[in-house]
Amino acid sequence: MLNIKNMSAVILLLAFSAVLFAQKAEIDKTAPGFTLKDSNGKEHSLSDFKGKYVVLEWINFECPFVKKHYNSKNMQNLQKEYTGKDVVWLAVCSSAPGKQGNFDNAEINERLKDHDANLTAYLIDESGDVGRAYGAKTTPHMYVINPEGTLLYAGGIDSIPSADIDDIEDATNYVSAALDAAMGGKEIATKVSKPYGCSVKY
Amino acid sequence: MKFYTKQILSLILFSMISFAQPVETEHVEAELISEVSSIRAGTPFWVALRLDHEEEWHTYWRNDGDAGLATKIEWNLPEGFEAGEIHWPYPKKIIISGLANYGYENEVLLLAEITPPEKLPENEIKIEATAKWLVCRVDCIPGSADLEMTLPVKNNIPKVNNEWTTKFANAREKLPITSTGWNFEASLNDTIVTLHIQRPEWSNQKFNEVVFFPYETGIFINAGIQNFSTIKSGLYTLEIPLDRLRIKDPEILKGILISEKGWCGEGSEKSMEFNVPVGMKSSMTQIPASNNDGLILALVFAFVGGIILNLMPCVLPVLSIKILGFVQQAGKDKTKIIKHGGAFTAGVLFSFWILAGLLLVLRAGGEQLGWGFQLQSPTFIVILSIFLFLFALSLFGVFEIGTSLSSLGSKVEKGNGNGSAFLSGVAATVLATPCTAPFMGSALGFAITQPPFVTMSIFTSLAIGMAFPYLLLSIFPQWLKFLPKPGNWMESLKQFMGFLLIATIIWLAWVLSIQAGADALIILFSILLFSAIAAWIYGRWGNVAKSGRTRLIALVISLAILLPSAIWGLNLINQIPQYTSSNSSSSAGLNWQKFSPEIVNKLRNEGKHVFVDFTAAWCLTCKVNEKVALDTEEVINKFDELNVAAVKADWTNRDDAITEALAEYGRNSVPLYVLYNADSSVEPKFLPEILTPGIVIEALENLN
Repeated sequence: MLNIKNMSAVILLLAFSAVLFAQKAEIDKTAPGFTLKDSNGKEHSLSDFKGKYVVLEWINFECPFVKKHYNSKNMQNLQKEYTGKDVVWLAVCSSAPGKQGNFDNAEINERLKDHDANLTAYLIDESGDVGRAYGAKTTPHMYVINPEGTLLYAGGIDSIPSADIDDIEDATNYVSAALDAAMGGKEIATKVSKPYGCSVKY
Repeated sequence: MKFYTKQILSLILFSMISFAQPVETEHVEAELISEVSSIRAGTPFWVALRLDHEEEWHTYWRNDGDAGLATKIEWNLPEGFEAGEIHWPYPKKIIISGLANYGYENEVLLLAEITPPEKLPENEIKIEATAKWLVCRVDCIPGSADLEMTLPVKNNIPKVNNEWTTKFANAREKLPITSTGWNFEASLNDTIVTLHIQRPEWSNQKFNEVVFFPYETGIFINAGIQNFSTIKSGLYTLEIPLDRLRIKDPEILKGILISEKGWCGEGSEKSMEFNVPVGMKSSMTQIPASNNDGLILALVFAFVGGIILNLMPCVLPVLSIKILGFVQQAGKDKTKIIKHGGAFTAGVLFSFWILAGLLLVLRAGGEQLGWGFQLQSPTFIVILSIFLFLFALSLFGVFEIGTSLSSLGSKVEKGNGNGSAFLSGVAATVLATPCTAPFMGSALGFAITQPPFVTMSIFTSLAIGMAFPYLLLSIFPQWLKFLPKPGNWMESLKQFMGFLLIATIIWLAWVLSIQAGADALIILFSILLFSAIAAWIYGRWGNVAKSGRTRLIALVISLAILLPSAIWGLNLINQIPQYTSSNSSSSAGLNWQKFSPEIVNKLRNEGKHVFVDFTAAWCLTCKVNEKVALDTEEVINKFDELNVAAVKADWTNRDDAITEALAEYGRNSVPLYVLYNADSSVEPKFLPEILTPGIVIEALENLN
């Protein structure tokens, strides 16, 4: 009896996950549109940022891989550099309510302040719909969208998958490489990479 | 005072190290363990990183899946030591909120082989490693531990550390097996890679659930559903969905396939490693066009093999009979001789066809068969012994063959010996079967996997090859002039030939004794005694000098003695349980282990080269090889020196595991000598079918 129950649960889960991963994001195609509230309750749509490069950064402050890039200031430095070049930098949190990384607005803003983050906005995607549309798997998982709304890059933040701060120095940063190439009118060398980190807590 | 403190301190430290204490970290206990309790210079050994996870927590496989990190081991070894790559047991697919990870829960051993340098002082060595992992439940924690263990260096063969034997064995069971014999084809369309899987000939296992775990990461939807379906018996497809955001299109599909039903039968290994280039279109659903080059080559090999068969030890007695035949013919006229040659060829052809037909029928019936299989049956051996014994008695002059066997009698007499030429062709074939000449093995291996008409062609080619020298002599009888003139010596020669047949019977009796023991021998000899009595009666009263009535009575009486005794004896022998093949592994020299695919893998994993001797008691070539090459002191020493394990696959009685193993190499006959390198990435090597100590030693030396 229990076995049948377990089995049907597994089958359901598998079927469900197949539906979940009917992702829409594809490289060199129009990035899926969305409208989400940020940590101050303000709504943002992707379409609002037409004409600007947009970076999406999947985030979960409790994840050791996110900590790696925030404690080392690596992420903040990138944010600072590119928002300074008129790039829109959006952090997206798809942690479901009650799951790791899901915080109330006050806590988010406090953490952002503590980390000295330089984001355009911290978007809350509790339902996980946007995360699934983009096929976001890990935190961090990075996306670069061009001013026409085309997805240019999807994948990891850099080339060395580890939780070691020491590795950042030796790694190739794929996000800055993609942005620099696109802005300089060059071909992006790595358009997709394997994202690394903790799984997104849908 | 200070000096003592230091000593005591190091003593305490030392006692801690030698027990290789596990390191407790958050949610994981990590430990470095060794399969052996001591090591020896130059002899590789296996160690493992043992990770014991707290309930619900997991660490990752070589491909972590959607998120996570593969565990890493950074070795810090003493000078001259080398560590191999991690051998990963197959993981579990862990699905958490729609994302799939490949990882390990509970306890896992990540195996690695360490090779010490060729020279080492007897002392102790310390192996250190830093292990790094990511341990996750829903949340993740990166972990690491500095691990170490000390091992004594000794001069004798390393002993297994009993504490970990079972755990190492369990971990090995989860290592992927190689996909030898399996065929794969992969094709890519927009969103799916379709993998065609074709079962090897020897397997009749049915599979209903197979899952692919890729080695490459970032290409497939790890949590996606993989559709597995059966196209027809033995041919399957697996559809693997591609991630839209993939790093690249797969060029080579690499990874493991997991079947809950084992790949080599129920309860066997569940994981199989494979790799196949990804093409755009699949052709496996169609029947592959037969390869003509392969066929022609096989036919040529079969023909040459057939000629060489004449020189094989087990054909030798018949060879002499045939030579005798030609000596007799030398005086007769040309057409008759050609006819004889033709009849002999026909006899050979006829028996090869019968064998081929039988093989095909039995193969269709799903029997695991191979060349020489007749000699796996005690019944066959007994009947062959009777046949040869009567033949010998006839040569000794106890009775006349040409005028006797009444059913064949008329034809034999009328055809001036064409019938007996035909029969000697049959006899030659029957005797030749257990000897596999070098070329024949591969030709037959090819034949057995082919459609019936190809199999028949190959057997035909083999038969023509075998009869060829005689056909040639009968067409050009002038070449026979090199043979001595007929005379009284012929009678002496004929009688002497009888002893060769008796010698053959001794060999057959020995084969039977291995199959069915000493009791069977007594029965066989009793049958032969009755056969002798029958032959004597027939020779004494059934010869042409007696009246027709006397002859008939003599025939009836001798058959009345021969047939019931043979039937009675065969019945008795078949009631004796056949011995297991291990009983026949009697050669003293090398330390033979009994064959199984598992033992070969196990030994290789232990870092040993493995020599497998596919043999059988009834295979004279095998026995000769064992005597002159394998059981010699120099070879035995070489085995010892290079740490090569000797494994014997004894095919004296039918053994499905051995038949399957032979089929894997496209063979269905013995001898076959396979030398596996301990390094599993090195392809196994085959030794020739006729061995000398030099050949074996050279092959062994080339291992490293």
